[in-house]
Amino acid sequence: MNMNDRIESLLEKVQKAPRYTGGEMNTQVKGWDEAPLHFVFCFPDTYEVGMSHLGMKILTGLINDQSWSLCERCFMPWVDMMEGMKAQQVPLFSLESRRPLKEFDVIGFTLMYEMSYSNVLAMLEMGGVPLERRDRGESDPIVVAGGGCASNPEPISDFIDAFMIGAGEEVMLELNRVILDRKEQGWTREECLKRLAQVEGVYVPSLYDAEYNEDGTLKSFRPNCPEAPARVMKRYVDNFDQAYFPTRTAVPYTEVVFDRITLEIMRGCTRGCRFCQAGMLYRPVRERSLETLVRQAEALVESTGYEEISLSSLSSGDYSCLPELIRELMRRMKDKRVSISLPSLRIDSVLKESLEETQQVKKSSLTFAPEAGTQRLRDVINKGVTEEDLIEKARDAFEGGWSSIKLYFMDGLPTETTEDLDGIADLAQKVVGEYFKVPKATRAKGLRVTVSCSTFVPKPHTPFQWAAQDTIPVINEKQEHLREVLKIKGVNFNWHAPHLSYLEACFSRGDRRIGRVLKRAYERGCILDGWSDQFKFDEWMAAFADCGLDPAFYANRVRAKDELFPWDFLDCGVTKAYLWREKEKSDRAEITRDCRQGCNGCGIQRFPGLCAYADPKRNQAPSPSLLPYEPAEKPEEDQAEGRNA
Amino acid sequence: MRMLGVFEKGERIRHIGHLDIQRAVQRGLRRSGLPVAYSNGFNPHILVAFASALSTGACGLREIMDVTMAREVTETEFLTCMNRAMPPELRLQEARRVEDRHPALTASLKAAMYELRFRDAEQAEKLIAAIPVLMKRETVPAVRKTKSGLKECDIKPWIYALRGEGSVVYATMALTEREACKPPMLLEALRREAGIPEEEEVRLLVVRTSLLGENDAGVFIPLEKL
Repeated sequence: MNMNDRIESLLEKVQKAPRYTGGEMNTQVKGWDEAPLHFVFCFPDTYEVGMSHLGMKILTGLINDQSWSLCERCFMPWVDMMEGMKAQQVPLFSLESRRPLKEFDVIGFTLMYEMSYSNVLAMLEMGGVPLERRDRGESDPIVVAGGGCASNPEPISDFIDAFMIGAGEEVMLELNRVILDRKEQGWTREECLKRLAQVEGVYVPSLYDAEYNEDGTLKSFRPNCPEAPARVMKRYVDNFDQAYFPTRTAVPYTEVVFDRITLEIMRGCTRGCRFCQAGMLYRPVRERSLETLVRQAEALVESTGYEEISLSSLSSGDYSCLPELIRELMRRMKDKRVSISLPSLRIDSVLKESLEETQQVKKSSLTFAPEAGTQRLRDVINKGVTEEDLIEKARDAFEGGWSSIKLYFMDGLPTETTEDLDGIADLAQKVVGEYFKVPKATRAKGLRVTVSCSTFVPKPHTPFQWAAQDTIPVINEKQEHLREVLKIKGVNFNWHAPHLSYLEACFSRGDRRIGRVLKRAYERGCILDGWSDQFKFDEWMAAFADCGLDPAFYANRVRAKDELFPWDFLDCGVTKAYLWREKEKSDRAEITRDCRQGCNGCGIQRFPGLCAYADPKRNQAPSPSLLPYEPAEKPEEDQAEGRNA
Repeated sequence: MRMLGVFEKGERIRHIGHLDIQRAVQRGLRRSGLPVAYSNGFNPHILVAFASALSTGACGLREIMDVTMAREVTETEFLTCMNRAMPPELRLQEARRVEDRHPALTASLKAAMYELRFRDAEQAEKLIAAIPVLMKRETVPAVRKTKSGLKECDIKPWIYALRGEGSVVYATMALTEREACKPPMLLEALRREAGIPEEEEVRLLVVRTSLLGENDAGVFIPLEKL
């Protein structure tokens, strides 16, 4: 049987064959010879998860729009398909042309979640690409990666040739151009990587060396050649309003996680929640104009036929003209029967009326995220939500005909005590109380308050990057306590065992050495870790033991103020000095104002014109110990100009 | 008015189930900009019906959708707009305008024509050789999946025509709500006659080539022409 027959025969046997067949509406299929550069976008999770991902839509669209490059797609196969592929010797192939990954010039991974790293390894190996970058030869593809987790690339840096830091829309084409030049000029792999290192926002791990102290902490981290910059600057989208946004996106045949139009209305967030990595990484806040959004929405409705639009951002309620936007979208979409799903947090009364008029509100369930149970702890994490706010919104919702409310919390936050856990139950009880205050005749039937609790994972580039995660026994105890106190009529409690969060904590703040654990765990059969039926915690622990590394060193250790972190060489906009100030304020349960009320000097103000709320006067020199790689010879303005050039 | 659209479910998307095909067609109709009618109520949906659900794994050459229009549209207009809006695997071949009172397709559907394209020539030969034996039998027992569970039945009276050529079996078989012989039931019977053991895999592509109705003279004609 030839390759295609073998694939066809496998597809007859697996569950959900459409995951592997492609051919969806709006998926561009360029002929292999129509473009000289061949890129395969790999999503290290299943088709259903990957096809819901906005970044993938943006980047595949962008690459395919260039006459000189084509972009195909590949997802992590499910276990049944993987086993069949191994048995039939079918390499992992792209959906469009069914070519093995190794035939592409560039393999690009998006790293959204640390616990998808084992899938990256599986996909590379199945695709016929040597796992470790040092084993790759001249004819092997260049393996690149970007996405949120690239903000600490070290744990997976043995397997990736080059990382893109920051906005993919900006750096993607520049990176591809270099790889195309290599193809045309015949540069060696090494030369190509050195040239990639000179693209702003690109980190090439082979060009850097790490040394460690006896206690296991990082001693030094520096480039080993002149081509690599000591500090890698994150890339920003200069003009977010006009930035590339695809208006013909793929419409999957089968149902995927987010099966609707996603309109990115805003990037960044001004609230400064201290646990939130996205809130720190995607600064500054930038909005798309109403005109642009309406135009994009109309084009997308026309090209996809979707019946629902959701507004996407870190905090859609903060979009400055949200009511106007929603009204305008509803006005234009009414005849087309397109519904707009709203950020549930901010439904003002005027909006509520217009919603009721058009009957477009599905009174399914409202979600609130107080994150912590007491005001003290909410101040520690700088979550600007008060109990009064929450109770008032719950009352509004119950009076408005909702009967189902979801409350999201975290357990294991820094400084958390039993009192804070009891506070969660207290809050849930008060929300239930609000429901019963609404007269029986007018309130909706079937009260359902769902309390969901996830385990806190300290993340790099946040004020909690110095913090320890609670150990698994401590989290278990806390969850047991929560189960007791949340035995309230009308309240459902959802929690997750902390094991996955523990590993997430290891890898989110891991160093280069932990890559060995990743490889070992993969060899021991760990893949699809994000799927609870596949997760093999004991194998992960065994892999740590095999490599002589202690997971607690990464997850449960309080880090010193002047510790050199593996991600310190990346400038992601927010300075380490600012993060330390925030950490100290957090220790005092002191809040930091929303950026819109005044600049807090997070570091973005170093780049003139980038942040609408920046105060350049806040541009004070950070203490040297906190910024070990600040190049002394270059004034910061120059750097910013270089970025714009 | 209603529009009957004859469309193809291509080989590449044969693993897509009927519900997903329905949704893809609805989204295609939305993209087409055609004046389709919507249902009333809280979650309005496009008024479109299908003559028959096609099994996952099978493809179809002349499947039929039945779309209620909100205002008058010509057949050409319908075809042009839809083919601009549909993926290549769901092409429309023909459209026919009918009145609102035209009977529902599911009610007029009597039979369907299939091709069972076998991948293995040797197996195909054995199976085709079994056709005359099968057709001489008085009864051909089979098991049918119904809403109330598995039911034993005799498919012999439901096989209207059966022949083989090369590695393809051509069959015309009953397809109504009460009486239906589906390709897997036929294959099972043929395997039994041909003596192909259960553990041996028979790979094939099922293609439904036509949906049939019955005219006043009692003759089968394509459903969309009725």
